[in-house]
Amino acid sequence: MAGEIPAGGPPTRPDERLLNLVIALVNTSAAMTKQQVRAGVHGYDAAASTEAFERMFERDKDTLRALGVPIVTVEGSGHSDEVGYRIDNEAYALGAVDLTPAELGVVALAAQLWSDKTLRTDMSRAMTKLAAAGAGDAVGDAVAGLTPRVRAAGDAYGPLLEAISERRVVSFRYRAASTGQVRTRQVEPWRIAARGGGWYLVGHDRDRDAERVFRLSRIEGRVRLGATPHAYELPDRVDVDAALGARVRHDSTALLAVVPERATALRARSADTVPAVARPGTPAAPAGRDLVTVPYGSLTTFADEVAGYGAAVVVLDPPDLRAEVLRRLRAAAALSTRPQEEADRG
Amino acid sequence: MAERADDRLVRLLGIVAYLDGAGPVDVEELAHRFGVTPARLREDIDALWVSGTPGYMPDDLIDFDAFSLEEGLVSLTQSRGLTRPLRLGTREAVALVAALRAMSTTPAVQADPARAAVVTGALDKLTAATGEAASAVDVRLGGPEDVATLGVLSQALAAGRRVRLRYVDAADVTSERDVDPWRLLTQSGATYLVGWCHRAGGRRTFRVDRVLGAELLDVPVEARGTDADVDVAAQVVADAAGRAREARVRWRSAARWVAEEVPVEEVTDLADGSFEVRLRVTNPAWLRRLLLTHAVDVLAVEPPQVAAEVAAAAREALGAYDEG
Repeated sequence: MAGEIPAGGPPTRPDERLLNLVIALVNTSAAMTKQQVRAGVHGYDAAASTEAFERMFERDKDTLRALGVPIVTVEGSGHSDEVGYRIDNEAYALGAVDLTPAELGVVALAAQLWSDKTLRTDMSRAMTKLAAAGAGDAVGDAVAGLTPRVRAAGDAYGPLLEAISERRVVSFRYRAASTGQVRTRQVEPWRIAARGGGWYLVGHDRDRDAERVFRLSRIEGRVRLGATPHAYELPDRVDVDAALGARVRHDSTALLAVVPERATALRARSADTVPAVARPGTPAAPAGRDLVTVPYGSLTTFADEVAGYGAAVVVLDPPDLRAEVLRRLRAAAALSTRPQEEADRG
Repeated sequence: MAERADDRLVRLLGIVAYLDGAGPVDVEELAHRFGVTPARLREDIDALWVSGTPGYMPDDLIDFDAFSLEEGLVSLTQSRGLTRPLRLGTREAVALVAALRAMSTTPAVQADPARAAVVTGALDKLTAATGEAASAVDVRLGGPEDVATLGVLSQALAAGRRVRLRYVDAADVTSERDVDPWRLLTQSGATYLVGWCHRAGGRRTFRVDRVLGAELLDVPVEARGTDADVDVAAQVVADAAGRAREARVRWRSAARWVAEEVPVEEVTDLADGSFEVRLRVTNPAWLRRLLLTHAVDVLAVEPPQVAAEVAAAAREALGAYDEG
């Protein structure tokens, strides 16, 4: 940052100003008022006006709190009714962590998990603090050859995390999958989750007065935080998988007629120990096919998968699965003949 | 690029707290611990040297032994109360604990009890040190992989041995291949094995949920002079981008997940709520399968030849159902 060098020495860098503020607030006997900070702490004397100082001091307090520095306010006493500030020395320190070299290797690998720049920054600061706490050298043998990676969460992550930590209601513009329409939603955020390639927010939708799941990638523009902290209660337990309907249950079984040597991945999931047999009343299998039973959870997900095999896999049973696959195949068969009409849907 | 003020502050505080506990430390060693160059570390020492409590008289300042420093040894003589390492902020605790939790649930870790124990150990210690704030974020990695398969692959990686895979590709073709495993890449949704495929004579990426069988061979992997720190995730993307054909698909809004879960080049939102994605496709079978599966939500496909192929496959399938 280019700037004029005032008489009396070079300008104080923000990091050095923050350092001096921490040292001052750690060492103060009772508390320091804003005026004492402005007059005494190195770096604040440069503020051109009271307004400039106030802005600088507020921003610095926010920065320090975000880093974990426990700045507390002390109500004025005695002759002064001015609020004072100090650092809570009890709450300042990181508890003993004492990681083994192998565990530290795991932590170092976990640091690579995030794709977002902001999350990587959070992680590298955490690593610096662990290094300051005396953590030894990492040994990566225990996790050799592993690379965990999650897709970027995007800009909504930061404000949503802040909102959950402070129990603030958020509002954002959201594009509905069903209609493509963008609407403003008011949500009490509970949890940020990553599953199967997507990032989600689980929370209470105030307008619909119900639990809802939002994809972060469909949030348009900024997430705004409500002014009031502690505006709602977090539920004791948030079941992300239940909210996403993604819980894997294998409570249905399909009877499939498969072309020999094909759909090996499907066959691998079959629990058949003896050749499968069709129940009376199921449609006849095309000639020359293997009958295979395969357990599945979600009807639509499994219909997607089966349709993807085209002619290699025919569903004989159950009828609802057969109908779902046929619906997909008919839509696909129509792709080359004409643009689909909206009425084809469903 | 200038370093962020808050990043440097955390390091400055950390250096003092560490030295207070550790005693004199070599400049190089201290720089290595905090991940900076020795030159940058000396700038940090210079900044600390002039910092202290209001008044800023010599006795108010953080101090080091100047003679030791000339000999390359950092020796703290006055810490001005910064004796303890700073606790983690909420965001830092979340990033750390959520990452470890995600790792502890990956199939690649769970397949190996020794690994799982180390990850759980690290997670327990850090959760105890950071409190419960970290539960705000919940990340689950990996897909429905077979634990026995992952166990064999993990073992092969740890022992540096070749594996024989029975593998079914996106075009539903099964093959047997001998592979020198390099890495297991666990991403949201799926786990991939990256390695040298002796059948193809090149580096290949295999989806672990399509490995039908894995057998540990009594053959050590061949050294290929690959950089172990190479960004595997970027490699997988690069593999997919080679020899690609371009396609454009217009989807109904209901299929918005496509733009999020499929590697698309470009997404264009259209006024009626539908959207168009541009894809680079290396494997035509993969695209045919995507369209066959989700044709209900497809409005248009370019080039027309792709649409014709998909429709032909669908008609053949309907024929098998006896409704040609």
